[in-house]
Amino acid sequence: MQVFTRDTFFELGEEETLLEGLERTGHHVEYQCRSGYCGACRIKLKVGSVVYSTAPLAFVKRDEILPCCCRPAEQIVIDDVPLKSKL
Amino acid sequence: MKMKYSTFSQTDNDQMREPMFFGQPVNVARYDQQKYPIFEKLIEKQLSFFWRPEEVDVSQDRIDFRNLPDHEKHIFLSNLKYQTLLDSIQGRSPNVAFLPLVSIPELETWIETWSFSETIHSRSYTHIIRNIVNDPAVVFDDIVRNQHIIERAGDISNYYDDLIQYGNLYNQFGDGSHQLNGQTVNVSLFELKKKLYLCMMSVNVLEAIRFYVSFACSFAFAERRLMEGNAKIIRLIARDEALHLTGTQHILNIMQEGEDDPQMAEVAQACRAQSVELFRHAAEQEKRWAEYLFKDGSMIGLNYNILSQYVEYITNLRMSAVGLEPIFPGASQNPIPWINAWLVSDNVQVAPQEVEVSSYLVGQIDAEVSVEDLGDFEL
Repeated sequence: MQVFTRDTFFELGEEETLLEGLERTGHHVEYQCRSGYCGACRIKLKVGSVVYSTAPLAFVKRDEILPCCCRPAEQIVIDDVPLKSKL
Repeated sequence: MKMKYSTFSQTDNDQMREPMFFGQPVNVARYDQQKYPIFEKLIEKQLSFFWRPEEVDVSQDRIDFRNLPDHEKHIFLSNLKYQTLLDSIQGRSPNVAFLPLVSIPELETWIETWSFSETIHSRSYTHIIRNIVNDPAVVFDDIVRNQHIIERAGDISNYYDDLIQYGNLYNQFGDGSHQLNGQTVNVSLFELKKKLYLCMMSVNVLEAIRFYVSFACSFAFAERRLMEGNAKIIRLIARDEALHLTGTQHILNIMQEGEDDPQMAEVAQACRAQSVELFRHAAEQEKRWAEYLFKDGSMIGLNYNILSQYVEYITNLRMSAVGLEPIFPGASQNPIPWINAWLVSDNVQVAPQEVEVSSYLVGQIDAEVSVEDLGDFEL
């Protein structure tokens, strides 16, 4: 599944959560619980849709996703996650 | 006029149609049907997090503390005093302030569960303080005597006190203009709702910003392999607080949407400017606190500037989570990214031999039985 960010794009691994994929490719994402209850990693989803293995406890608005516990259902575009090297 | 508070309202009602607050007081504590199942899920999660301070050994901390230079002793103890203050307030106030106003059972129980877990935090501070100083009273007594702590205590408890007082008036006299002790007092449900909303916002600020400033200090010591028992406890506390924060964000967002109570959406709009100011004021106050913490010297990895930047960064994040525009334009980067490694909470290690995973207490018994299991069974 392809993930497009502001600075680059990458292929998400089979076993990876979106957060793990973003970290592997050098993106800066906030995190805390890594299991969907704190909401620290919430980001805006610009294009596409994601699926959660279990519904997260944290509050997520309609245009937001929690990368720590979701995977893309199709190609997605996320805008507000910069590469660490571009910070 | 609202129904007066009763510990068991005998009016038959449909709890699924009650708003979160200001409907009919909850009668039957039932969870087979839920208007907002999220609160039940939060309760279950919180219960699965259960821990006791005594599980964490803080004996090495005593030795570490004795060897700290004086200015770091000041940082550590002041931080601990502040944490003690925050949880003293949180261990009781949600119960006293919110329970008389709540009208659905799952939220009522969440509030009680939430507040109870804060009392564990309070007990853990005593556990730490008892272990690192000879006379705990010296630390505890200063909380009500230290001007820097008192100043913040007022700002936090005022919102609760105001809500409780006004709620009492409303419950006793209802809507309207009343003559009380020769003074005219105007009471309205709209005003009461505003006080509830602002109080919830202030709780959000407490959980989302104030606590995290204190966590940063605790973990800065542990980054240098000092006061690690303390850091283990603070990790458990941080895990709980992340959940409480989620609860408060849900409450605030449900209020703002207005589906639950249309007037609450109006209230949220009316309180918008005040909410922004609440965040700004707290952030400034936390920065002044950082100044006090580092007055005699910084510590490795943390100083006034870094902590202030962190306050601004985290204020921005938390504001957008409750639908407010960030107020610190420059602060889009976490100046202490190492804090996240301490805040990762699904694998909080209590003692080397027992790793507590958040799902630890649920499903720990293997209830699967197959025919083979009974293969060598004879009567």
